[in-house]
Amino acid sequence: MFDLSSRQAKIVFFAALAVIGFFLFFPLYWLVISSLKANAELYRVVPTPFPTMPSLEHFIRALTAGKLPMYLMNSLITSTCSAALVTLLALYAGFSFAKYRYFGRQPVMLFMLSAQMFPFGLLLISIYPLMSEMNLLDTRPGLILSYIVFALPVSTYMLYSYFTQVPDELIDAARADGASDLRIFHTIVIPISIPPIVTVFLYSFMWSWNDLLYSMTLIVSDEKRTIGPGLLLTYLNEVNSDWGGAMAASLIASAPIVAAFMFLQRYFIQGVTAGAVK
Amino acid sequence: MAVIENNVGAYPVSPHANRGGLKAGQNRIGLLLLLPAAVAFAAVILYPFLSALGLSLFEYTVEMMEPRFIGFENFYKIASDPDVWAAFWTTAIYVALTTTGTLAAGLGWALIMNQPFAGRAVLRSMSLLPWVLPSTVSAFIWGWIFNSRYGVLNAFLMELGLIDYPQAWLSTPEGAMLAVVLTKIWLSIPLFMSFFLAGLQNLDKEQIDAARVDGAGNWAVLRDHILPHLRPVLMIVVVLGVIGNLQQFDTIYALTGGGPVRATTVLSVEVYRRAFEQWDIGFASAVGVLWVAALLPPAFLYLRMLVKGN
Repeated sequence: MFDLSSRQAKIVFFAALAVIGFFLFFPLYWLVISSLKANAELYRVVPTPFPTMPSLEHFIRALTAGKLPMYLMNSLITSTCSAALVTLLALYAGFSFAKYRYFGRQPVMLFMLSAQMFPFGLLLISIYPLMSEMNLLDTRPGLILSYIVFALPVSTYMLYSYFTQVPDELIDAARADGASDLRIFHTIVIPISIPPIVTVFLYSFMWSWNDLLYSMTLIVSDEKRTIGPGLLLTYLNEVNSDWGGAMAASLIASAPIVAAFMFLQRYFIQGVTAGAVK
Repeated sequence: MAVIENNVGAYPVSPHANRGGLKAGQNRIGLLLLLPAAVAFAAVILYPFLSALGLSLFEYTVEMMEPRFIGFENFYKIASDPDVWAAFWTTAIYVALTTTGTLAAGLGWALIMNQPFAGRAVLRSMSLLPWVLPSTVSAFIWGWIFNSRYGVLNAFLMELGLIDYPQAWLSTPEGAMLAVVLTKIWLSIPLFMSFFLAGLQNLDKEQIDAARVDGAGNWAVLRDHILPHLRPVLMIVVVLGVIGNLQQFDTIYALTGGGPVRATTVLSVEVYRRAFEQWDIGFASAVGVLWVAALLPPAFLYLRMLVKGN
């Protein structure tokens, strides 16, 4: 886009690249480097730019001594269940919005989408007594249901945008052959919609995996706690701060979501920016 | 791409608007498909939202069995509560700084990532990482950088001679605000960049080449072609950014807990503390109602853009 043949243009371009790039990547570099430093090297007023004696002690301790594996397992269970639930709900709703013309369709869809703007913290004020009444406080199903809040509106919209591009002829032809709408959806539409479905699943999984607020409030017992509050309570509390452990545990907790994201990022970006950009 | 068709009237606007079946039986199936999501939506989003709005008119604290209706009393209390006003002010500063900061850095980074150079693809993928990290992890990273005793920021600034002795960043109001703002900018750059990159994809390159032939330099191309082209995306990004920043809770709570004292207590933290630390549900809901009011203008703009399909 820019013409970088002149020396001046090159300098401006690469200076900007260096400044923003440093801001973006240095914290990640520092996370990795710090997790590999033994405590003797970590707690130094003038830090070393890279570990002189790389050590895996923080990783080993995080995986064997603490409760991190338990928190990870809890997060895996709640995030997988809530992502599956959201994807399922959004799948049918998105298809309904895209391919049927009933009274109130557009207002209902806009209203659902605008719910993205209801502050999660405010909803929590009433979700808390609601869960308490249904005896779902401090339970995994309660947390899973609450996580619908985060991703359902956007997921529905993402799938809706995709389904509008599925040609009507495809559906009409199958209808002419006598297939029922549900059958058409399950055997024709869903198989050609795997990328957006995976995107939506990952999107809602990410919200649940990364959550702190809801888990911290709705889960009380340690054995059901997820990684967000789990990390916070384990590594930085009033008594001690274990930064090396915090860095290693952070990397472990980020690994699954980063791996999934790296494989699927192309679909992911398309899905999330769909609707906003022509 | 995804445009919400405007076909509420009797005469469809576009020839495609009414395709996809209009028969009564089929529409019943459409409603049936919507039902599960609608029920879930009503139960965990709509009902809690309305209920919280309603609770703002009640006195409801931890000692009470049942909420007691008190009309607008919570709002009168808010009017004379300097802490709530301070939270509004803090939120305004936080939202202004994070939104402008992310806008500048995100746009700059998108323009850089749009330029072909060796290693760009890898850099582009990697620059999405901050966005997918758990919020506690982001808070850990920045808390460690800003650490008063062993933080790399202090070491770096002392090396450059900008400060003479280590600063306790997170213990000063300005330092804590700087930390939460930088954290949020850092984790929002990927999303902003993605939006801008998507917008840059369909930029008319021939138009730019023609301008270059006419002697336009890089700045002229940026000012006269690229930025005007990105205007609709810019609007969306600003509105979504404001909405997201107004709601930010996790990284602030994990990094500073709203402190020192109340220096980084934005509305989300204020509502959380009133509701789940002081268990003053009615008052917290009333603050939440004002919070929603602050969200309405950007929310309205966002919906309008969606309906218009840009």
